[in-house]
Amino acid sequence: MGTDGASTRSGSVNSMHRMIKLCHLDDLPEQNARGFDPSREGQDTVFVVRQGNHIYAYKDLCPHYGDTALPWRKDEYLDPWGGTIVCAAHGAHFEIATGLCIDGPCMGESLPKVPVQIMDNGDILVAIDEPHGGGESP
Amino acid sequence: MNIIGPDTLIFGVDDIDSCTQYLLDYGLESVGNGRFEALDGTGVEVKAKDDTSLPAPLETGSTLRKTIYGVADQATLDAIAEELKKDREVKQLDDGSIEAVDDMGFALGFQVTVRKTLNLPAETINAPGADNQRGLNVIGVEKEASPKPRSLSHVVYFVPDFAKAEAFYAERLGFITTDRFHGVGPFMRPAGTQDHHTVFFIQTPPHMQGIEHFTFHMGGPTEVVHAGTNMVNKGYQSFWGPGRHLLGSNWFWYFKSPFGCNVEYDADMDLHNDDWTARAIAPGADNSQAFLLQFREKWAPMGPPPAADQ
Ligand code: FES
Ligand SMILES: [Fe+2]
Repeated sequence: MGTDGASTRSGSVNSMHRMIKLCHLDDLPEQNARGFDPSREGQDTVFVVRQGNHIYAYKDLCPHYGDTALPWRKDEYLDPWGGTIVCAAHGAHFEIATGLCIDGPCMGESLPKVPVQIMDNGDILVAIDEPHGGGESP
Repeated sequence: MNIIGPDTLIFGVDDIDSCTQYLLDYGLESVGNGRFEALDGTGVEVKAKDDTSLPAPLETGSTLRKTIYGVADQATLDAIAEELKKDREVKQLDDGSIEAVDDMGFALGFQVTVRKTLNLPAETINAPGADNQRGLNVIGVEKEASPKPRSLSHVVYFVPDFAKAEAFYAERLGFITTDRFHGVGPFMRPAGTQDHHTVFFIQTPPHMQGIEHFTFHMGGPTEVVHAGTNMVNKGYQSFWGPGRHLLGSNWFWYFKSPFGCNVEYDADMDLHNDDWTARAIAPGADNSQAFLLQFREKWAPMGPPPAADQ
């Protein structure tokens, strides 16, 4: 079963991060993407793309303006054919496997990767930055 | 030249169904053949990317394929054709419009405008010291409302050379620069409208050339926020807003879209005539908005800590 880089183990993630469960592999249709809000920020901050048994995870942050989430509607991260990741704001296209922008305004820049791990039971875990206190005002 | 403003934007897209649903949810009326109209008859047309009736795409693959300007009368149309024929091909189309390509490579159309004259009230307010605008016992807001876009307002383009763009629109088409961001680009209005801008150019690297956003005028700020809230409730994702711009004073709310550009609602833009002197200010977050009332989907103070699984 492939993971993003296949190198991340919960033990090797440094102490600023912790692994958090997003969903189960069966929750993601093959060739599909889904956004999550693991640190409860009020909007999706991480998304995962499933291609067969491979899972890729990225921060939901377009490198073009630097502070924009990608989809035009919840979970609409892919082009109509499921071949690339798209930022709807100005139509940037990114490779699913690498996050590299191959077409559009931020060509050559990449989506920030998020370490992801698929457990034996199919749970999908990502490393998130330690949350900054549940009560903090934005 | 008596150019009034954009009548129609034509897009060539990947996902016609999503774009169609988006425009209906945005509030435009479907009139058939992939055309969607605001109350005054201006609108957007959606075609498949490979539709052979479309002008050739830009190399960058921008989904905007043509901007059609409405002009006052046939004499204006003839004058534009005459002017542009000096150094480029001007096509005469069957519907009476003309087509040419501007100095950046954007396909332009010109036609006697399709705009219908609207007779609708603007949003009214009451304030101490002023005569009440709305009248007694007239309610200002309802929980449910579906305000309709009134008129195609403006288009914003990413261009590799804003000075070249500004020169073309000023010298060849008679547009007037109302304000500018230093080093970024001008806001321009054609001579036939008093709107602060119907076009704004943003300087970018050449591989970004295309459309940044388009927008329709609403009846007032309440309508901008109401229509935007309806979009949020239908699952669309805000890009920026609601807020109020500094240059132009227009209220705004931008949404991402399946068109690969942002789509805005705007209201209450400044009007200008030739007495106005263009301002030039530094670009940046501080000068792009007077204020921002950021929408937040589901934030609650002191919310629960992140759960181990959801
Ligand atoms: S912000 Fe993503 S393409 Fe511009
Ligand atoms: Fe705008």
